[in-house]
Amino acid sequence: MSTTAIATDLGLKPAATAATASRSVSSVEVTDYDNRQTVGKIVVDNAKMICRGVNVYYGEKQAIKNVSLDIGANEVIAFIGPSGCGKSTFLRCLNRMNDTITTCRVTGQIKLDDDDVYDKSIDVVQLRARVGMVFQKPNPFPKSIYENVAYGPRIHGMVNTKAELDDLVRDSLERAGLIKEVEKRLNEPGTSLSGGQQQRLCIARAIAVHPEVILMDEPCSALDPIATAKIEELIDELRENYTIVIVTHSMQQAARVSQRTAYFHLGDLIEIGETDQIFTNPKHKLTEDYITGRFG
Amino acid sequence: MAISQDAHTVKQFDIQLANFRNLVLEMGGLVEDQIKHAVQALDDEDITASREVISRDQIINGLHVKADEDCVSLIALRQPLGSDLRLIMSLSKIVTDLERIGDEAEKIARMTVKTYDAASSPPSAKLLRDVAPMARLASKMLHGCLDALARLDVEKAVEVAQGDDELDQEFQSALRRLITYMMEDPRNIGHAINVIFIIKALERIGDHSKNIAEYIIYLVKGKDVRHVGMDTLVQDALAQ
Amino acid sequence: MSKPNATAVPTASRDIKTIVNATLKRRHAAERRFRWYGLLAISLGLIFVLLMFGNIIGKGYPAFWQSYIQLPIKFDAAILDPEGNRDPHAIENADYAALVRTGLRALFPNVEGRVELRALYALSSSDAPLELRQQVMAHPTLIGTEQEIWLLASATVDTFVKGNIDRQAEEDHRPIKDNQIGWIDQLQATGKLKQRFNTILFTSGDSREPEQAGIRGALMGSFYTLLVTFLLSFPVGVATAVYLEEFAPKNRWTDLIEVNINNLAAVPSIVFGLLGLAVFINFFGLPRSAPLVGGLVLSLMTLPVIIIAGRAALTSVPPSIREAALGMGASKLQMVGHHVLPLAMPGMLTGSIIGMARALGESAPLLMIGMVAFIVDVPKSFLDPSTVLPVQIYLWSDLPERAFVERTSAAIMVLLAFMILMNGLAIILRKRFERRW
Repeated sequence: MSTTAIATDLGLKPAATAATASRSVSSVEVTDYDNRQTVGKIVVDNAKMICRGVNVYYGEKQAIKNVSLDIGANEVIAFIGPSGCGKSTFLRCLNRMNDTITTCRVTGQIKLDDDDVYDKSIDVVQLRARVGMVFQKPNPFPKSIYENVAYGPRIHGMVNTKAELDDLVRDSLERAGLIKEVEKRLNEPGTSLSGGQQQRLCIARAIAVHPEVILMDEPCSALDPIATAKIEELIDELRENYTIVIVTHSMQQAARVSQRTAYFHLGDLIEIGETDQIFTNPKHKLTEDYITGRFG
Repeated sequence: MAISQDAHTVKQFDIQLANFRNLVLEMGGLVEDQIKHAVQALDDEDITASREVISRDQIINGLHVKADEDCVSLIALRQPLGSDLRLIMSLSKIVTDLERIGDEAEKIARMTVKTYDAASSPPSAKLLRDVAPMARLASKMLHGCLDALARLDVEKAVEVAQGDDELDQEFQSALRRLITYMMEDPRNIGHAINVIFIIKALERIGDHSKNIAEYIIYLVKGKDVRHVGMDTLVQDALAQ
Repeated sequence: MSKPNATAVPTASRDIKTIVNATLKRRHAAERRFRWYGLLAISLGLIFVLLMFGNIIGKGYPAFWQSYIQLPIKFDAAILDPEGNRDPHAIENADYAALVRTGLRALFPNVEGRVELRALYALSSSDAPLELRQQVMAHPTLIGTEQEIWLLASATVDTFVKGNIDRQAEEDHRPIKDNQIGWIDQLQATGKLKQRFNTILFTSGDSREPEQAGIRGALMGSFYTLLVTFLLSFPVGVATAVYLEEFAPKNRWTDLIEVNINNLAAVPSIVFGLLGLAVFINFFGLPRSAPLVGGLVLSLMTLPVIIIAGRAALTSVPPSIREAALGMGASKLQMVGHHVLPLAMPGMLTGSIIGMARALGESAPLLMIGMVAFIVDVPKSFLDPSTVLPVQIYLWSDLPERAFVERTSAAIMVLLAFMILMNGLAIILRKRFERRW
């Protein structure tokens, strides 16, 4: 029996079948594209960072529009969204990496525990020691593996003796899951490692100063799937001790590593919620269109 | 109910999804026919038609396998998320239920063959009295949920789910009547057991149809309404 | 895709094939032609370079050899030490020229008459008595003995021996007379006139006598001048580049400074010389002709080059390294000091060395501050009057003697050798310290 026959049986016109078949479903509650009010619960019980009404301007252009969200302690929160949606910009506000851009202006409030990140009394050096960062492209210093990891503790004066520093370096490499691979070659240049190893070295370097929060800006975009899987596994392990904010272009990656997901669109925080809810049952039309690949 | 008319950026994904849905609908249509023909053959005491129904179940089984393949390949190749994910998961479950319904139709046909092929005399009409109304109810439910699936119509799905209670009551009362007949005259027992199998099959068709209706509600609304009370189901399904 | 399209594709591809084929020949021809132009340009350049080197080396090579005459010198105690008490003062002031004359007469006992004798004495250099004095002062035991000693021949003899005076020319038209030629032939025949390596070129200062003139004074002058230039311009240049590139706010003032630095690099070097004359010598009263002033002037000239090269080296450090350092909580100075500067250093050094090489070859601004004087003594400090290699070349190129023509080319060869050395150093530094990231 052909499809047409069934359609007739169902009391439908044959022509309508194809149309209906290509139609898709959505359970979204906000169907209005122009509604840019954040959907979902922005507040969490044990917040590590609290952002309220954050605006970011590059000169005249507003890159982030009134974004409020909480980042819970020991959670992995993923920022997703199309290119230019401001997710990286927002991430860089969290440890004031945007300060290096002279035209960049940030308003609103970002708090790390009880300290206002943008308060005059906060020194960026101290802030960045507390909020570490891992970048898109693995960027180890052109120095030895040991020196890469030892750099942070050294400049912050965290250790007094060589033995303490050795321990700290080994411990950081171990927590980054790299120690087995580099144990015998700590004095070789960090740049001699493979891409994935370099990125784990950068993570080891970041955790060597015992930060409270780690920001990751598309940490796997330059890596192959195996290296990516290793980083993802590492992120999951690190969650025990750190709060992790990850920006990613890969929705699958956000789904795999994060507990909560925030969707940004043209500088607005469109939707935030539990990761499985965002990826199975988003509440905003824009989120739905983005994650199902209907964008634009 | 919100329905996105937008196409995917990847057109091939749209085509694959549409093909998968059409396959499920085609399977639904076939299953519906099977029930119709099985019940008709029973009514007509037509063994040949029943045998045809039995053999046609293979086609449904084939479609079931094909649908599962499509489903696996869609998940593997497209990594669906959001409503696409719900659609594919729901359809894959609906396919299983449709295949079971097909099996129930086959069961009815087998019982028909068994009943009328035997050397003994055919059963009296009163034993078969409840089959026709129950078959009508079951067919209506199946048709309703296929309709709801084709239109992604939650209200229709709710209607189908609600219809299951009526069918269950019909089944209970038919069962009581058959027990009475069996107690009246032990010679009826053989035929009555066959009839019980038939009406049990019809009752199962209702259950499967209800499952399908629940999947449709999940698909459209994103809410799992299985194993909740009918009140919650209706409330969840129709909530805006 | 609809059916007509599907069939249209092969036709189109056939079309494109013929269309491309039609233009292919022309395109290849253009490419070949361009390659020929390139080859032509390069070979033209090469030919000029070879011509220049050939000319300079051909002219300058003989200057590294010098004629010496072996004379039997009788260290007569009556002349050297008439008192017999070995008084150094008396020995120093003795008539050594008489020893040379006696030696020459001993070789050619037949020569007589004032004119003939003067011609004979002219065979040896005026430096010969000084050389003898030096030897006697060093070894007073020589007095009273007779030694065969190699003494410097005069420049005319040297020029003749090197074949630069035409033997066939009329006697009046050549600086060397027939009888002198006869003696020279005789000396050569007996092996008493030989060419030896010209150490004087590297050990003595300038002189009016070509056979005694050397470049040591100019070399030391260049060394002191460049030392001042490097010590001044490198730290200042690097600091300026780092500040402008990493710390300075981007505003109208820094833009103005940037434009001015670029302009400074294009200012003609003679202007720096005038500036040096006006400011360092006339205003600050620093001594004329001193390497210190020369170094100051050349610093002004080299600074913009170092700053521009330094900034280019800094910008070539990838931003990811800066981000990594800042992300670790490094302060800006730590970021620059620990990461950016070490990575930019090879580039900065290369730029500086190339700037220094330019300074080494510079003569115009130094003319303005008096480093063009005739200075015989080798400078011993930053304040001694001195000249530099390119200026020495300029000075010698003006002199008429044939022997100075040789020396000019020889000095050019030395200067070029230093240039190549410095550029080679720049390349080695770049290769050695260049790091991958």
